[in-house]
Amino acid sequence: MRIIMSFLLLSMFTISVTNAQMARTRAVPDGPVDELFLIGSVAGMSTVTNLEKNNLNSLIMHNFGLVSSGIEDFYGLDQGAAVRLGIDYGISDKLSVGIGRTSIEDNVDVRFKYTVFRQLKSDKIPVEVAIKSDLGINTQKERAFDFEFSERLNYFGSIMVARKFNEKLTLQIAPMISHFNTVVKRTTIIPENTHFALGLGGRIMLDERKSLTFEYLPVIGSRTEGTKNHLAIAYEIETGGHVFQMFLMSGKWFTEQHLIARNENDFFAGDFRLGFNVNRIFSLNKN
Amino acid sequence: MKFLLFLLLLTPFMSVNAQTFYTETGSTKFTSSVPLHDFTGTSENLVGQIDLNENTIDFYIDLETLDTGNAKRDKDMLLTLETKQYPFAEFFGKLTSDFDLNSSLSQVVVVKGLFKIHGNEKEIEVNGTLTKTSSGLQLNAAWTLLLEDYNIVPPKLLFIKVDQEQKIEINALLTEVKIEGN
Repeated sequence: MRIIMSFLLLSMFTISVTNAQMARTRAVPDGPVDELFLIGSVAGMSTVTNLEKNNLNSLIMHNFGLVSSGIEDFYGLDQGAAVRLGIDYGISDKLSVGIGRTSIEDNVDVRFKYTVFRQLKSDKIPVEVAIKSDLGINTQKERAFDFEFSERLNYFGSIMVARKFNEKLTLQIAPMISHFNTVVKRTTIIPENTHFALGLGGRIMLDERKSLTFEYLPVIGSRTEGTKNHLAIAYEIETGGHVFQMFLMSGKWFTEQHLIARNENDFFAGDFRLGFNVNRIFSLNKN
Repeated sequence: MKFLLFLLLLTPFMSVNAQTFYTETGSTKFTSSVPLHDFTGTSENLVGQIDLNENTIDFYIDLETLDTGNAKRDKDMLLTLETKQYPFAEFFGKLTSDFDLNSSLSQVVVVKGLFKIHGNEKEIEVNGTLTKTSSGLQLNAAWTLLLEDYNIVPPKLLFIKVDQEQKIEINALLTEVKIEGN
């Protein structure tokens, strides 16, 4: 009789299983960690964050004169803006290419960023790694010099390694090299053509749409006398397809080769400028 | 008495043969209109179960698997849907129309039940088609979801206003399963 009762109970259980709602389980236990940074650059330094395939980022970058110039120059705003206009496009989820033009020295640069691998939620890959290169050309009409094409070229390369430690904190380290085919000796200072730097960057999320970020580009080894390490501190807001960045930065360029080799302002001495970037991301996917 | 006991003992094995169909790879697509263009989000992670003995239909999707092709837009969508708190969109209901499992013709079916998303649920009735194939049951259905019905409010920071109406489509091939060993 006990056996019969057991079968009856089993029978009831089986029927109840077929009637019940399924248990809900999450679909993807592992996968890439999203958004180590809100966008592909801080003020001027690139981050590991890359564009998705068929996404286009149109980018307007500005900064003004030094805030330390005081009220007479309206804290630098009267000194005119340095502007870089650019677009970047995701050829694949790993590779993006871009082109831009900076108003200083009419520097036109082309660049690419390639994501080598992404940080995984499971921590099987604990960091995201990307490489970036940038080739610039000074197109300014020179009165004092008659530069050849190759003499106008400048280069940049870096390997970026970043980790999102938690929902709030991301840090990045990036060995960098900057090279100018030509550097003009205007004083007794002997300039360096090549600089090495160790780019440091980070982000602290304030909420899901706002963050504080920084970039610091200390030069390693020999450097052109009188140049200083570039530093920028930024406040970012994401609204839909836009990312707005407002920042204080010591360098006046938006290309890293120049920020490393050409910055003569010391942020800690109060020599920084106000700037802002506008990023607008468009999806060119058919859907 | 012996005959009755025999029938009762047979009951579990009758349920073993229940006509239950299941999938974890159904596709979901939503189409949303914003000024100047439409965009779609898709997922291939729709989980579903149809029990033709009980006439129940049970579907759910992990909303974080939806992909609109734009990471920023995906992030907005997930924030709007508060997926950390409400990770699933789900439907559980009954087949209210007849379905002939012995026919291989596509049959129009009506299901009625509760659709739940963003922590809010609403009774809906959906028309779809159900087709018995050699691989299992093919389900196709579509309906329109009104965001305000589920207390879904797109963020004010968005420059582009999203339409209240979202067109939902699901397509799934469910294969026959045995709930218990047979």
